[in-house]
Amino acid sequence: MAETVETLPVVEQDEESKPKSGLEPGYRVICWNDPVNYMDYVTHVFQVVFGWPRKKAEFHMLQVHEQGKSVLTRESLEKAEHYVHQLQRYCLHATMERDE
Amino acid sequence: MNLVAANNEAYVFHLGRREKTLLTEVLGLYPRVPAGYQRLSRQGRGAEVENAQQLLDEALAEQRAENTRLVRRLLADPARLGPDPAGKGWLLRLSPSDFEWLLQVLNDIRVGSWVNLGCPEARLDLKFLAPANAPDFWAMEFSGYFQMQFLEALNHRA
Repeated sequence: MAETVETLPVVEQDEESKPKSGLEPGYRVICWNDPVNYMDYVTHVFQVVFGWPRKKAEFHMLQVHEQGKSVLTRESLEKAEHYVHQLQRYCLHATMERDE
Repeated sequence: MNLVAANNEAYVFHLGRREKTLLTEVLGLYPRVPAGYQRLSRQGRGAEVENAQQLLDEALAEQRAENTRLVRRLLADPARLGPDPAGKGWLLRLSPSDFEWLLQVLNDIRVGSWVNLGCPEARLDLKFLAPANAPDFWAMEFSGYFQMQFLEALNHRA
């Protein structure tokens, strides 16, 4: 991901982002790292598409940047498709994968 | 390019003459991401995923056609992009809803130019610029420049 900020905010993992047990089976919506999308842009897109507060959007943006990908949400097939469509409208590298 | 006014209805930017030319040229490159570039899944290609992929391709094509119309309308409307009556330069007036499609357009140009450059992992060194790759390099850089200007304006108002 192309860097746009010199100092990154310290964000704590919130409850929704922590791994949970007993998740509904379905599809994971994943955003993958790439060297072209700006960090601020990715944060903005997460806020718009998921309606997240900036802090949560930054947490997932940093996860993409540092770990190569971030699982953004787990949904049914239809909802996962919807979110991937929305993210790809903004040219983010997003896919949906079956939750094994 | 400077944000000179912002309220709930509009953001007004002042652009120099060259910036206005540059913005017009950059927006004229849309769409730039090749069709079929976006994949719905990295996993297997069952019938379910293939059908969904076809729907995604159609949805993205429709969205690009709509964004192309919006770009043309913006560039042809002197009330939204016109000479600054107060002096040199140009004024660009955007509504809050303009930002989303404009950011999508600019990022399509940026990503599409990057794809044309061969998806380099690192920033291209200027010494490797050649007539063949310079247009894509500059399209990527300038679309990114305008993208960041608009994001800063949005964050400024937030």
